[in-house]
Amino acid sequence: MKVLMKPIEMIAWFSKDKYPIPLRYRIVDENMENKVIKVDKILFKEEEKIAGNRMILYRCESIIENTQRIFELKYEISTCKWFLFKI
Amino acid sequence: MSSPLIFHIDVNSAYLSWEAAYRLQHGEEIDLRDVPSIVGGNREKRHGIVLAKSIPAKDYNILTGETIHSALQKCPHLRVVPPNYERYIDASDAMIHILREFSPNIQRYSIDEAFLDYSYGDKHWIDISYEIKERIKADLGFTVNIGVSSNKLLAKMASDFKKPDMVHSLFPYELQDKMWPLPVSELFMVGPKTTVKLHSRGIFTIGDLAALSKDYIYSWLKKPGLLIWEYANGIDSSNVRNNPLPIKSVGNSTTTSFDVDNQREAHMILLALSEKVSMRIRAINQCAYVVSLNIKNYNFFSYSRQVKLNNPTDSTNFVYRTAKRLFDEMWQEEPLRRFSLSLSELISNDYYQLNFFEEDDSKEKLLDNAIDNIRKSFGHKSVFRSCFLYSGIDPLIGGVIMEEEYPMMSSQI
Repeated sequence: MKVLMKPIEMIAWFSKDKYPIPLRYRIVDENMENKVIKVDKILFKEEEKIAGNRMILYRCESIIENTQRIFELKYEISTCKWFLFKI
Repeated sequence: MSSPLIFHIDVNSAYLSWEAAYRLQHGEEIDLRDVPSIVGGNREKRHGIVLAKSIPAKDYNILTGETIHSALQKCPHLRVVPPNYERYIDASDAMIHILREFSPNIQRYSIDEAFLDYSYGDKHWIDISYEIKERIKADLGFTVNIGVSSNKLLAKMASDFKKPDMVHSLFPYELQDKMWPLPVSELFMVGPKTTVKLHSRGIFTIGDLAALSKDYIYSWLKKPGLLIWEYANGIDSSNVRNNPLPIKSVGNSTTTSFDVDNQREAHMILLALSEKVSMRIRAINQCAYVVSLNIKNYNFFSYSRQVKLNNPTDSTNFVYRTAKRLFDEMWQEEPLRRFSLSLSELISNDYYQLNFFEEDDSKEKLLDNAIDNIRKSFGHKSVFRSCFLYSGIDPLIGGVIMEEEYPMMSSQI
Protein backbone atom coordinates (compact mmCIF):
# COMPACT_ATOMS: atom_id res chain seq x y z
CA MET A 1 0.00 0.00 0.00
CA LYS A 2 1.12 3.54 -0.79
CA VAL A 3 0.56 6.58 1.42
CA LEU A 4 -1.80 9.06 -0.24
CA MET A 5 -3.45 11.08 2.56
CA LYS A 6 -5.96 12.55 0.15
CA PRO A 7 -8.97 14.43 1.56
CA ILE A 8 -12.23 12.71 0.55
CA GLU A 9 -15.96 13.29 0.74
CA MET A 10 -17.63 10.71 2.92
CA ILE A 11 -21.01 9.32 3.82
CA ALA A 12 -20.67 7.75 7.24
CA TRP A 13 -23.04 6.15 9.69
CA PHE A 14 -22.82 7.56 13.21
CA SER A 15 -24.16 4.64 15.20
CA LYS A 16 -24.58 4.28 18.95
CA ASP A 17 -21.13 2.76 19.08
CA LYS A 18 -17.98 4.66 19.88
CA TYR A 19 -16.78 5.20 16.33
CA PRO A 20 -18.50 6.30 13.10
CA ILE A 21 -18.70 3.72 10.32
CA PRO A 22 -17.62 4.79 6.81
CA LEU A 23 -20.14 3.70 4.14
CA ARG A 24 -19.12 5.24 0.82
CA TYR A 25 -16.77 7.98 -0.27
CA ARG A 26 -16.08 10.11 -3.28
CA ILE A 27 -12.62 10.91 -4.55
CA VAL A 28 -11.28 12.94 -7.47
CA ASP A 29 -9.00 10.69 -9.54
CA GLU A 30 -6.05 11.51 -11.84
CA ASN A 31 -8.41 12.44 -14.72
CA MET A 32 -10.18 14.92 -12.44
CA GLU A 33 -13.27 12.71 -12.44
CA ASN A 34 -15.32 11.96 -9.39
CA LYS A 35 -15.32 8.35 -8.35
CA VAL A 36 -17.59 6.83 -5.72
CA ILE A 37 -16.35 3.85 -3.78
CA LYS A 38 -18.52 1.79 -1.49
CA VAL A 39 -16.83 0.45 1.60
CA ASP A 40 -17.68 -3.25 1.55
CA LYS A 41 -16.00 -4.40 4.70
CA ILE A 42 -14.08 -2.93 7.60
CA LEU A 43 -11.30 -5.32 8.54
CA PHE A 44 -10.30 -3.49 11.70
CA LYS A 45 -10.27 -0.06 13.22
CA GLU A 46 -8.01 1.53 15.78
CA GLU A 47 -7.67 4.86 17.46
CA GLU A 48 -4.34 6.64 17.40
CA LYS A 49 -3.35 9.80 19.21
CA ILE A 50 0.01 10.60 17.72
CA ALA A 51 1.32 13.89 19.13
CA GLY A 52 -1.98 14.18 21.00
CA ASN A 53 -4.06 14.38 17.80
CA ARG A 54 -6.84 11.81 17.83
CA MET A 55 -7.53 9.96 14.59
CA ILE A 56 -9.42 6.77 13.84
CA LEU A 57 -7.79 4.46 11.36
CA TYR A 58 -9.92 2.00 9.38
CA ARG A 59 -8.50 -0.80 7.27
CA CYS A 60 -11.18 -1.55 4.67
CA GLU A 61 -11.86 -3.75 1.68
CA SER A 62 -13.80 -2.90 -1.51
CA ILE A 63 -14.24 -3.99 -5.07
CA ILE A 64 -12.71 -1.21 -7.18
CA GLU A 65 -12.86 -1.70 -10.99
CA ASN A 66 -13.56 -5.40 -10.54
CA THR A 67 -10.59 -6.04 -8.29
CA GLN A 68 -10.66 -6.50 -4.61
CA ARG A 69 -8.55 -3.79 -3.01
CA ILE A 70 -7.48 -3.14 0.56
CA PHE A 71 -7.06 0.45 1.74
CA GLU A 72 -6.94 2.57 4.86
CA LEU A 73 -9.16 5.50 5.78
CA LYS A 74 -8.53 8.04 8.51
CA TYR A 75 -11.00 10.19 10.39
CA GLU A 76 -9.55 13.19 12.22
CA ILE A 77 -11.69 13.92 15.28
CA SER A 78 -10.60 17.53 15.85
CA THR A 79 -11.47 18.65 12.31
CA CYS A 80 -14.18 16.08 11.36
CA LYS A 81 -12.32 15.35 8.11
CA TRP A 82 -11.92 12.05 6.28
CA PHE A 83 -8.84 11.00 4.36
CA LEU A 84 -7.86 8.16 2.09
CA PHE A 85 -4.68 7.33 3.95
CA LYS A 86 -3.21 4.40 2.03
CA ILE A 87 -4.17 2.27 -0.94
CA MET B 1 7.11 6.60 54.70
CA SER B 2 8.97 5.17 51.75
CA SER B 3 11.97 7.07 50.42
CA PRO B 4 11.15 9.71 47.82
CA LEU B 5 11.34 8.73 44.18
CA ILE B 6 11.05 11.47 41.60
CA PHE B 7 10.94 11.15 37.81
CA HIS B 8 11.69 13.98 35.43
CA ILE B 9 10.19 13.43 31.99
CA ASP B 10 11.66 15.55 29.19
CA VAL B 11 10.52 15.37 25.55
CA ASN B 12 13.45 15.02 23.12
CA SER B 13 13.61 18.09 20.85
CA ALA B 14 9.99 18.73 21.75
CA TYR B 15 8.62 21.03 19.05
CA LEU B 16 10.45 19.15 16.36
CA SER B 17 9.36 15.70 17.56
CA TRP B 18 5.76 16.80 17.83
CA GLU B 19 5.84 18.39 14.41
CA ALA B 20 7.46 15.26 12.94
CA ALA B 21 4.93 12.91 14.56
CA TYR B 22 2.01 15.04 13.44
CA ARG B 23 3.31 15.17 9.88
CA LEU B 24 3.86 11.41 9.76
CA GLN B 25 0.29 10.93 10.95
CA HIS B 26 -0.81 13.13 8.05
CA GLY B 27 0.97 11.02 5.49
CA GLU B 28 4.31 12.79 5.13
CA GLU B 29 6.92 10.24 4.17
CA ILE B 30 10.02 11.91 5.57
CA ASP B 31 10.50 11.88 9.32
CA LEU B 32 11.80 15.33 10.24
CA ARG B 33 13.82 13.74 13.02
CA ASP B 34 15.95 11.83 10.49
CA VAL B 35 16.98 14.80 8.32
CA PRO B 36 18.55 18.16 9.16
CA SER B 37 15.49 20.22 10.04
CA ILE B 38 14.33 22.97 12.35
CA VAL B 39 11.09 24.39 13.64
CA GLY B 40 10.86 28.15 13.59
CA GLY B 41 10.12 31.39 11.88
CA ASN B 42 8.80 31.87 8.43
CA ARG B 43 10.61 30.60 5.39
CA GLU B 44 9.08 32.98 2.84
CA LYS B 45 9.89 36.08 4.81
CA ARG B 46 13.23 34.58 5.81
CA HIS B 47 12.99 35.86 9.31
CA GLY B 48 12.57 34.37 12.74
CA ILE B 49 14.73 32.17 14.92
CA VAL B 50 15.39 28.47 15.40
CA LEU B 51 13.02 27.15 18.07
CA ALA B 52 13.97 23.49 17.88
CA LYS B 53 16.37 21.42 15.81
CA SER B 54 16.67 17.77 14.84
CA ILE B 55 19.64 15.68 15.91
CA PRO B 56 21.06 15.59 12.33
CA ALA B 57 20.84 19.42 12.33
CA LYS B 58 23.08 19.45 15.39
CA ASP B 59 25.91 18.07 13.24
CA TYR B 60 25.82 21.30 11.24
CA ASN B 61 26.40 23.21 14.45
CA ILE B 62 22.97 24.83 14.29
CA LEU B 63 22.03 26.42 17.60
CA THR B 64 18.63 26.94 19.14
CA GLY B 65 17.90 30.67 19.14
CA GLU B 66 20.02 31.66 16.15
CA THR B 67 18.42 33.28 13.13
CA ILE B 68 17.00 31.12 10.36
CA HIS B 69 19.15 33.03 7.92
CA SER B 70 22.40 31.99 9.59
CA ALA B 71 21.13 28.42 10.05
CA LEU B 72 20.46 28.21 6.31
CA GLN B 73 23.97 29.43 5.62
CA LYS B 74 25.37 26.58 7.70
CA CYS B 75 23.16 24.03 5.97
CA PRO B 76 21.51 25.13 2.70
CA HIS B 77 19.31 22.03 2.38
CA LEU B 78 17.92 22.46 5.89
CA ARG B 79 14.18 21.83 6.16
CA VAL B 80 12.43 24.71 7.91
CA VAL B 81 8.90 24.16 9.20
CA PRO B 82 6.78 26.83 10.88
CA PRO B 83 5.67 26.25 14.48
CA ASN B 84 2.12 25.48 15.48
CA TYR B 85 1.68 26.03 19.20
CA GLU B 86 -1.85 24.74 19.53
CA ARG B 87 -0.72 21.39 18.19
CA TYR B 88 2.14 21.29 20.68
CA ILE B 89 -0.22 21.96 23.55
CA ASP B 90 -2.34 19.00 22.44
CA ALA B 91 0.75 16.83 22.41
CA SER B 92 1.85 18.07 25.82
CA ASP B 93 -1.65 17.53 27.27
CA ALA B 94 -1.75 14.01 25.89
CA MET B 95 1.57 13.23 27.57
CA ILE B 96 0.39 14.57 30.94
CA HIS B 97 -2.77 12.49 30.50
CA ILE B 98 -0.65 9.34 30.23
CA LEU B 99 1.52 10.35 33.20
CA ARG B 100 -1.58 10.72 35.36
CA GLU B 101 -2.16 7.01 35.00
CA PHE B 102 1.06 6.39 36.91
CA SER B 103 0.84 8.89 39.74
CA PRO B 104 -1.60 11.55 40.91
CA ASN B 105 1.25 13.82 41.87
CA ILE B 106 2.55 15.55 38.75
CA GLN B 107 4.11 18.95 38.26
CA ARG B 108 4.03 20.35 34.80
CA TYR B 109 7.29 22.20 34.69
CA SER B 110 7.04 23.55 31.16
CA ILE B 111 5.36 22.59 27.91
CA ASP B 112 7.75 19.67 27.40
CA GLU B 113 8.90 18.78 30.91
CA ALA B 114 7.14 17.29 33.90
CA PHE B 115 8.02 15.93 37.32
CA LEU B 116 6.27 12.84 38.57
CA ASP B 117 6.34 11.72 42.20
CA TYR B 118 6.42 7.93 42.41
CA SER B 119 7.36 7.68 46.11
CA TYR B 120 4.21 5.75 46.90
CA GLY B 121 4.23 3.49 43.88
CA ASP B 122 4.51 -0.27 44.24
CA LYS B 123 6.69 -1.16 41.24
CA HIS B 124 10.44 -0.88 40.83
CA TRP B 125 11.57 2.39 39.29
CA ILE B 126 13.37 0.68 36.41
CA ASP B 127 10.21 -1.12 35.30
CA ILE B 128 7.97 1.87 35.69
CA SER B 129 10.25 4.39 33.98
CA TYR B 130 10.66 2.12 30.95
CA GLU B 131 6.92 1.51 30.92
CA ILE B 132 6.21 5.27 30.85
CA LYS B 133 8.79 5.85 28.13
CA GLU B 134 7.50 3.04 25.92
CA ARG B 135 3.86 4.00 26.44
CA ILE B 136 4.54 7.56 25.29
CA LYS B 137 6.49 6.30 22.31
CA ALA B 138 3.83 3.81 21.23
CA ASP B 139 0.74 5.93 21.85
CA LEU B 140 1.92 9.40 21.00
CA GLY B 141 4.74 8.75 18.55
CA PHE B 142 7.54 10.76 20.17
CA THR B 143 10.41 9.90 22.51
CA VAL B 144 11.25 11.17 25.97
CA ASN B 145 14.19 11.06 28.35
CA ILE B 146 13.44 10.11 31.93
CA GLY B 147 15.66 11.02 34.85
CA VAL B 148 15.12 9.19 38.11
CA SER B 149 16.34 10.22 41.54
CA SER B 150 15.35 11.04 45.08
CA ASN B 151 14.76 14.72 44.43
CA LYS B 152 13.69 17.01 41.63
CA LEU B 153 17.05 18.63 40.98
CA LEU B 154 18.90 15.34 40.48
CA ALA B 155 16.07 13.90 38.40
CA LYS B 156 16.26 16.93 36.12
CA MET B 157 20.04 16.66 35.82
CA ALA B 158 19.71 12.95 35.02
CA SER B 159 17.20 13.39 32.21
CA ASP B 160 19.73 15.64 30.49
CA PHE B 161 22.54 13.05 30.30
CA LYS B 162 22.38 11.25 26.98
CA LYS B 163 19.60 11.64 24.46
CA PRO B 164 17.28 10.52 22.96
CA ASP B 165 14.87 7.89 24.27
CA MET B 166 16.73 6.93 27.44
CA VAL B 167 16.27 6.42 31.15
CA HIS B 168 19.02 7.60 33.51
CA SER B 169 19.24 7.47 37.26
CA LEU B 170 21.19 9.85 39.48
CA PHE B 171 20.78 8.83 43.08
CA PRO B 172 22.90 10.59 45.72
CA TYR B 173 25.40 7.71 45.81
CA GLU B 174 26.00 8.16 42.06
CA LEU B 175 26.85 11.87 42.31
CA GLN B 176 30.57 11.35 42.29
CA ASP B 177 30.60 9.22 39.14
CA LYS B 178 27.84 10.77 37.09
CA MET B 179 27.48 14.44 37.98
CA TRP B 180 30.70 15.73 39.49
CA PRO B 181 32.88 15.23 36.38
CA LEU B 182 30.52 17.40 34.27
CA PRO B 183 31.44 21.02 33.43
CA VAL B 184 30.01 23.44 35.95
CA SER B 185 27.94 25.22 33.28
CA GLU B 186 25.77 22.09 32.98
CA LEU B 187 24.43 22.59 36.49
CA PHE B 188 20.90 23.90 36.85
CA MET B 189 20.84 27.66 37.62
CA VAL B 190 24.45 28.19 36.50
CA GLY B 191 24.21 30.56 33.53
CA PRO B 192 26.92 32.05 31.33
CA LYS B 193 27.72 34.87 33.78
CA THR B 194 28.08 32.62 36.81
CA THR B 195 30.18 30.25 34.72
CA VAL B 196 32.68 33.03 33.97
CA LYS B 197 32.83 33.94 37.68
CA LEU B 198 33.38 30.34 38.71
CA HIS B 199 36.02 29.80 36.03
CA SER B 200 37.91 32.85 37.28
CA ARG B 201 38.51 31.05 40.57
CA GLY B 202 39.45 27.75 39.03
CA ILE B 203 36.11 26.00 39.37
CA PHE B 204 35.54 24.03 36.19
CA THR B 205 33.51 20.98 37.13
CA ILE B 206 30.46 20.47 39.29
CA GLY B 207 32.70 18.45 41.59
CA ASP B 208 35.00 21.47 42.08
CA LEU B 209 32.01 23.52 43.16
CA ALA B 210 30.71 20.81 45.48
CA ALA B 211 34.09 20.51 47.18
CA LEU B 212 34.19 24.18 48.23
CA SER B 213 33.36 25.01 51.80
CA LYS B 214 29.89 26.37 52.44
CA ASP B 215 31.18 29.47 54.22
CA TYR B 216 33.55 30.30 51.40
CA ILE B 217 30.87 30.18 48.70
CA TYR B 218 28.50 32.20 50.88
CA SER B 219 31.02 34.93 51.52
CA TRP B 220 31.75 35.11 47.81
CA LEU B 221 28.45 34.68 45.95
CA LYS B 222 25.96 35.10 48.81
CA LYS B 223 22.59 33.38 48.68
CA PRO B 224 22.55 32.36 44.99
CA GLY B 225 26.00 30.87 45.59
CA LEU B 226 24.63 28.79 48.43
CA LEU B 227 21.86 27.55 46.17
CA ILE B 228 24.19 26.33 43.42
CA TRP B 229 26.51 24.83 46.04
CA GLU B 230 23.57 22.85 47.40
CA TYR B 231 22.62 21.80 43.87
CA ALA B 232 26.19 20.70 43.20
CA ASN B 233 25.94 18.52 46.28
CA GLY B 234 22.58 17.14 45.16
CA ILE B 235 20.63 18.89 47.89
CA ASP B 236 17.11 19.98 46.96
CA SER B 237 14.03 19.61 49.09
CA SER B 238 11.34 21.16 46.90
CA ASN B 239 8.12 19.19 46.49
CA VAL B 240 6.46 18.05 43.32
CA ARG B 241 3.86 20.77 43.13
CA ASN B 242 0.56 19.65 41.77
CA ASN B 243 -0.80 23.17 41.61
CA PRO B 244 1.01 25.90 39.75
CA LEU B 245 2.51 28.78 41.71
CA PRO B 246 0.20 31.76 42.14
CA ILE B 247 0.54 34.24 39.29
CA LYS B 248 2.31 37.44 40.34
CA SER B 249 1.97 39.50 37.23
CA VAL B 250 0.44 39.40 33.78
CA GLY B 251 2.15 41.08 30.86
CA ASN B 252 2.36 41.12 27.10
CA SER B 253 4.79 42.67 24.71
CA THR B 254 5.28 43.15 21.00
CA THR B 255 8.11 44.04 18.70
CA THR B 256 6.61 45.95 15.80
CA SER B 257 7.55 45.09 12.24
CA PHE B 258 8.09 48.79 11.52
CA ASP B 259 9.40 51.64 13.68
CA VAL B 260 6.56 53.52 15.32
CA ASP B 261 7.11 57.26 15.11
CA ASN B 262 3.73 58.83 15.75
CA GLN B 263 1.57 59.03 18.82
CA ARG B 264 -1.57 57.73 17.18
CA GLU B 265 -0.01 54.42 16.16
CA ALA B 266 1.73 54.07 19.50
CA HIS B 267 -1.58 54.55 21.27
CA MET B 268 -3.19 51.94 19.08
CA ILE B 269 -0.51 49.42 19.96
CA LEU B 270 -1.01 50.23 23.63
CA LEU B 271 -4.74 49.67 23.19
CA ALA B 272 -4.14 46.31 21.55
CA LEU B 273 -1.83 45.27 24.39
CA SER B 274 -4.31 46.55 26.99
CA GLU B 275 -7.04 44.45 25.42
CA LYS B 276 -4.90 41.36 25.72
CA VAL B 277 -3.54 41.82 29.24
CA SER B 278 -6.84 42.89 30.75
CA MET B 279 -8.58 39.97 29.11
CA ARG B 280 -6.03 37.64 30.63
CA ILE B 281 -6.28 39.19 34.07
CA ARG B 282 -10.09 38.88 34.00
CA ALA B 283 -9.78 35.26 32.97
CA ILE B 284 -7.87 34.46 36.16
CA ASN B 285 -10.30 36.51 38.30
CA GLN B 286 -7.78 39.04 39.49
CA CYS B 287 -7.41 42.82 39.60
CA ALA B 288 -4.15 44.74 39.51
CA TYR B 289 -2.82 47.70 41.48
CA VAL B 290 0.22 48.43 39.34
CA VAL B 291 0.41 49.17 35.63
CA SER B 292 3.89 49.29 34.09
CA LEU B 293 4.95 50.18 30.60
CA ASN B 294 8.30 49.52 28.99
CA ILE B 295 9.33 50.82 25.58
CA LYS B 296 12.42 50.21 23.51
CA ASN B 297 13.57 52.68 20.87
CA TYR B 298 15.31 52.19 17.56
CA ASN B 299 18.70 52.24 19.30
CA PHE B 300 17.65 49.25 21.43
CA PHE B 301 17.65 51.49 24.47
CA SER B 302 14.71 50.75 26.71
CA TYR B 303 13.06 52.62 29.51
CA SER B 304 10.02 52.09 31.65
CA ARG B 305 7.58 53.73 33.96
CA GLN B 306 4.95 52.38 36.31
CA VAL B 307 2.15 53.69 38.44
CA LYS B 308 0.32 52.41 41.48
CA LEU B 309 -3.41 52.92 41.21
CA ASN B 310 -5.73 53.94 44.00
CA ASN B 311 -8.14 51.18 43.09
CA PRO B 312 -7.26 47.83 41.62
CA THR B 313 -8.56 47.41 38.10
CA ASP B 314 -9.32 44.82 35.46
CA SER B 315 -10.97 47.17 33.01
CA THR B 316 -9.59 47.35 29.48
CA ASN B 317 -10.40 51.04 29.17
CA PHE B 318 -8.84 51.96 32.47
CA VAL B 319 -5.67 50.01 31.76
CA TYR B 320 -5.48 51.66 28.35
CA ARG B 321 -5.96 55.17 29.75
CA THR B 322 -3.25 54.54 32.34
CA ALA B 323 -0.84 53.11 29.76
CA LYS B 324 -1.48 56.09 27.50
CA ARG B 325 -0.72 58.48 30.34
CA LEU B 326 2.53 56.67 31.19
CA PHE B 327 3.49 56.67 27.54
CA ASP B 328 2.87 60.38 27.00
CA GLU B 329 4.90 61.17 30.11
CA MET B 330 8.01 59.34 29.02
CA TRP B 331 8.13 59.24 25.23
CA GLN B 332 10.91 61.38 23.71
CA GLU B 333 9.31 61.25 20.24
CA GLU B 334 11.99 58.97 18.81
CA PRO B 335 11.04 55.92 16.69
CA LEU B 336 10.08 52.91 18.79
CA ARG B 337 10.34 49.21 18.09
CA ARG B 338 9.08 47.42 21.14
CA PHE B 339 6.24 47.89 23.63
CA SER B 340 5.50 45.88 26.71
CA LEU B 341 2.71 46.34 29.19
CA SER B 342 2.27 44.47 32.43
CA LEU B 343 -0.03 44.41 35.42
CA SER B 344 1.19 43.43 38.87
CA GLU B 345 0.31 43.46 42.58
CA LEU B 346 -2.65 41.28 41.82
CA ILE B 347 -5.52 40.68 44.18
CA SER B 348 -8.62 38.58 43.87
CA ASN B 349 -11.46 40.39 42.16
CA ASP B 350 -14.31 39.12 44.32
CA TYR B 351 -13.85 41.67 47.04
CA TYR B 352 -11.52 44.55 47.63
CA GLN B 353 -11.53 47.97 49.28
CA LEU B 354 -13.76 50.44 47.47
CA ASN B 355 -12.91 54.07 47.15
CA PHE B 356 -15.31 56.88 47.98
CA PHE B 357 -14.26 58.90 44.95
CA GLU B 358 -14.33 56.01 42.54
CA GLU B 359 -16.36 56.32 39.37
CA ASP B 360 -19.14 53.82 38.92
CA ASP B 361 -17.75 51.34 36.43
CA SER B 362 -20.33 48.59 36.74
CA LYS B 363 -21.49 49.13 33.17
CA GLU B 364 -17.95 48.90 31.91
CA LYS B 365 -17.49 45.63 33.78
CA LEU B 366 -20.56 44.19 32.11
CA LEU B 367 -19.30 45.33 28.73
CA ASP B 368 -15.85 43.80 29.30
CA ASN B 369 -17.42 40.53 30.34
CA ALA B 370 -19.74 40.49 27.35
CA ILE B 371 -16.79 41.10 25.01
CA ASP B 372 -14.75 38.37 26.70
CA ASN B 373 -17.59 35.91 26.29
CA ILE B 374 -18.12 36.75 22.64
CA ARG B 375 -14.41 36.36 21.97
CA LYS B 376 -14.31 33.09 23.85
CA SER B 377 -17.12 31.63 21.76
CA PHE B 378 -16.40 33.14 18.37
CA GLY B 379 -12.66 33.74 18.32
CA HIS B 380 -10.47 36.62 19.33
CA LYS B 381 -11.16 38.68 16.27
CA SER B 382 -14.95 38.40 16.35
CA VAL B 383 -15.29 41.86 17.93
CA PHE B 384 -12.72 44.59 17.96
CA ARG B 385 -12.54 48.35 18.08
CA SER B 386 -13.21 50.17 14.85
CA CYS B 387 -9.99 52.21 15.01
CA PHE B 388 -8.11 49.03 14.05
CA LEU B 389 -10.03 48.63 10.78
CA TYR B 390 -7.64 48.90 7.81
CA SER B 391 -4.91 50.10 10.18
CA GLY B 392 -2.52 47.20 9.68
CA ILE B 393 -2.27 46.83 13.44
CA ASP B 394 -3.69 43.75 15.13
CA PRO B 395 -6.57 44.53 17.49
CA LEU B 396 -5.12 42.21 20.12
CA ILE B 397 -1.37 41.92 20.49
CA GLY B 398 0.84 39.65 22.50
CA GLY B 399 1.47 36.00 23.15
CA VAL B 400 2.11 33.20 20.75
CA ILE B 401 -1.00 31.28 21.68
CA MET B 402 -4.21 33.12 21.30
CA GLU B 403 -6.62 30.63 22.76
CA GLU B 404 -4.97 29.23 25.82
CA GLU B 405 -2.38 29.88 28.46
CA TYR B 406 0.31 27.31 29.01
CA PRO B 407 2.76 26.95 31.85
CA MET B 408 6.08 28.58 31.23
CA MET B 409 9.31 27.35 32.65
CA SER B 410 10.50 29.15 35.74
CA SER B 411 13.86 29.37 37.42
CA GLN B 412 12.38 27.67 40.45
CA ILE B 413 12.03 23.92 40.33
